[in-house]
Amino acid sequence: MDRFLQDLKPGERARVERIEGGGALRRRMMDMGIVPGVELEVVRCAPLGGPLQIRLKGYYLAMRRGECARIMVCAPNREYSEPSLASR
Amino acid sequence: MKIALMGNPNVGKSTVFNVLTGSNQQVGNWAGKTVERKSGIIHRANEEIELIDLPGTYSLTAYSQEEIVTREYILREKPDVVMAMVDASNIERNLYLVLQILELAPRVVIGLNMMDLAKTAGITIHSNKLALALNVPVVEITAAKGQGIEEFLAEAIRVGKLKKDPIADDVPYPEELENRIQAMERLLSDTIWATKYPLRWLAIKRLEQDPEIGQTWKSIPQTNQRNRSTDPCCDPGDPVKYELQESVSLPGEALLQAYEAEGWNKDHFEMAVADAKYKYISKILPEFRVNENPVKRTWTDKLDEWILSPFWGYPIMVIILSLVFWFSFVASAPLGGAVSEAMAWAADVIVVIMQWGQMPEVIQSLVRDGIFAGVGAVLAFVPQIAIFFAFFSLMQDSGYLARAAFLGDRFMQLMGLHGKSFFSLVSGFGCNVPGIMATRTLEDPKDRLITMLINPLIPCVPRLGVMSAVVAAFFPGSRGAFIMVSLLLLSMLLVMFSALFLRRVVRQKERSAFVMELPLYHVPTIRNVLLPTWQKTYSFLKRAWTFILVASIVVWVLSSYPQGVPMNETWAGKMGGWLAFIGQPLGFDWRIMVAIVFGFTAKETTLSTLGILYGVAADASQSIAQAMTGAMTPLGAYTFLVVYMLYIPCLASVVTTYKESRSLGWTSFGVAYNLILSFIIGWLIFHGGQLFGFQ
Repeated sequence: MDRFLQDLKPGERARVERIEGGGALRRRMMDMGIVPGVELEVVRCAPLGGPLQIRLKGYYLAMRRGECARIMVCAPNREYSEPSLASR
Repeated sequence: MKIALMGNPNVGKSTVFNVLTGSNQQVGNWAGKTVERKSGIIHRANEEIELIDLPGTYSLTAYSQEEIVTREYILREKPDVVMAMVDASNIERNLYLVLQILELAPRVVIGLNMMDLAKTAGITIHSNKLALALNVPVVEITAAKGQGIEEFLAEAIRVGKLKKDPIADDVPYPEELENRIQAMERLLSDTIWATKYPLRWLAIKRLEQDPEIGQTWKSIPQTNQRNRSTDPCCDPGDPVKYELQESVSLPGEALLQAYEAEGWNKDHFEMAVADAKYKYISKILPEFRVNENPVKRTWTDKLDEWILSPFWGYPIMVIILSLVFWFSFVASAPLGGAVSEAMAWAADVIVVIMQWGQMPEVIQSLVRDGIFAGVGAVLAFVPQIAIFFAFFSLMQDSGYLARAAFLGDRFMQLMGLHGKSFFSLVSGFGCNVPGIMATRTLEDPKDRLITMLINPLIPCVPRLGVMSAVVAAFFPGSRGAFIMVSLLLLSMLLVMFSALFLRRVVRQKERSAFVMELPLYHVPTIRNVLLPTWQKTYSFLKRAWTFILVASIVVWVLSSYPQGVPMNETWAGKMGGWLAFIGQPLGFDWRIMVAIVFGFTAKETTLSTLGILYGVAADASQSIAQAMTGAMTPLGAYTFLVVYMLYIPCLASVVTTYKESRSLGWTSFGVAYNLILSFIIGWLIFHGGQLFGFQ
């Protein structure tokens, strides 16, 4: 089942499927290593709907829920099927 | 030889820079930006080297001011060698930047830092194998202990002296992308652009439709550049400005359109290129990285369990911030007092000398009551600001500041601001000047501007002092606490409202992204804390002193002419009188207006002015406030408190806003905004209160 990163509970792991939207925000995410196929883990959430702490590539990142809502993820164990580039 | 130091934020770049350049640093700003520019001239092996510390950046795309500066420098100034610092504990993302640098600058040396941190996380990096994998020289360094730094530089010099550019391994791009890059390369290879930039980089950027491609920039040396040797620490910066000479479109427009029809637009190329780089890193990673224990809990994990905990995080933050506040603004008070006393003593000595030289009385008064008193009032804040900056550097370097932004982001989101604004606003409770200066950590210039402009609405320690004295006189007992809390709540509410309002005024359409690294904790070196503290304090003084001097003289002239008349007869007193019509709707008499006018230089002087006007001889704030109770109703006093809390920011914060925003327009806007807001809110409270029958 495809979900968005913001739906993940602390401790859950997932694999990035695609990033919706474009522009500066997506470029920023790319610079921070969020590209399709990357595995990440939600470590904890700040209370009252605050940002999420995410672990990827061996480091920690803080991101707001609104931004996480643009990242579609799938289960980490599922074999990552290379989507055709045009659909990303 | 020009060598540039590059790397991600928090990799220890400034440590290396500080060790290499020592005190031969020039700190300023990049042309037209508020990004710090640090450079230094060093001599090694009969070679004069200009070492430049580029701002920390995650990539070479133009996202933040820091990245724009870094990119422009690499593109336009073309350093001979790039020293790329890499954090061993976070090597994947760090290498992403290195791959981007390698496409643009052929002569690169990698400095592998934080190996000890990586070890504690169970990661071992074999530097020789990394060098083989990328075909780039790698030097292991431990920046915090000063190890390997000279070797790092020596290697960079060696690479800089090579006759031919070394060839690093290319990033292998997937076939469908590679074909398109090659097609573009064929179109561009005969143009003059191919002689200016590496062909592959040029083709990729053309496909990504990067605006810089096709532009020719001419650098204009600043004509008013001051002699640097006279001021080795802080030169005025802005050594080079760029002017767009011409902008041409490169060939390949038809090709781009054809690709777009196939679904390969510029976003798509960007993503595909980034993706290929990360894939390449993942592929070569096993060659040099051994991850013995990937689930090993590091110190950072253990500390974050508490510091970022939804429950404990906030009390811990309150404790840490209270400690910082106590040290910076309470414990430093004797130091500030000592500065004032020293200034007063110096004034006395000079006046004695002047008396001996039979100088006119006016000049003596100008020196004693104008220059020394005015400048002294601002100088008394310098110890506070310096201590605060030391803590600021400490928190930034240790990694706590990012955590505070993480915890505070939810509240900032309500105002449409970035989590990093939180710290600036909280600092405002201590003193607005460092609060405004702390906005430098914000990436988005509009976020910065808004945070800067709303900062003066937060009552600082001196204002809180005056306010609590007035509250104690008018509202004794437990009512006082209630009144004080209501005032603070009002200020919060207005900060929030103003942030939302100003977002429309500065036309910030897109909310800036909150995608922020939470770096691993580490203990900062003493040098890294003290050096920026000194530089910031010094540059604050250096930039502000002329303004403060002029303003002190102006205030002195206004408040002491015509000579020998009572305070209300002086020009400033008359100004208060003229302004009485503004005070009337608020129920203020001329005395309050005069005190408010005088409060501009330093807000804590308001009480002593009122003391003189109400004829209270004693200098104790309590008795002054007591004298006011006879002249004002509690409602009037409450209105006064609100207006006092909100009206014009003090002189020092106005100067700081100007220096940080580099815009006279926005500074005047900020001042006007405060004045108008305080008037409106004061009017509402006074008349609303009367309507409800409060007295």
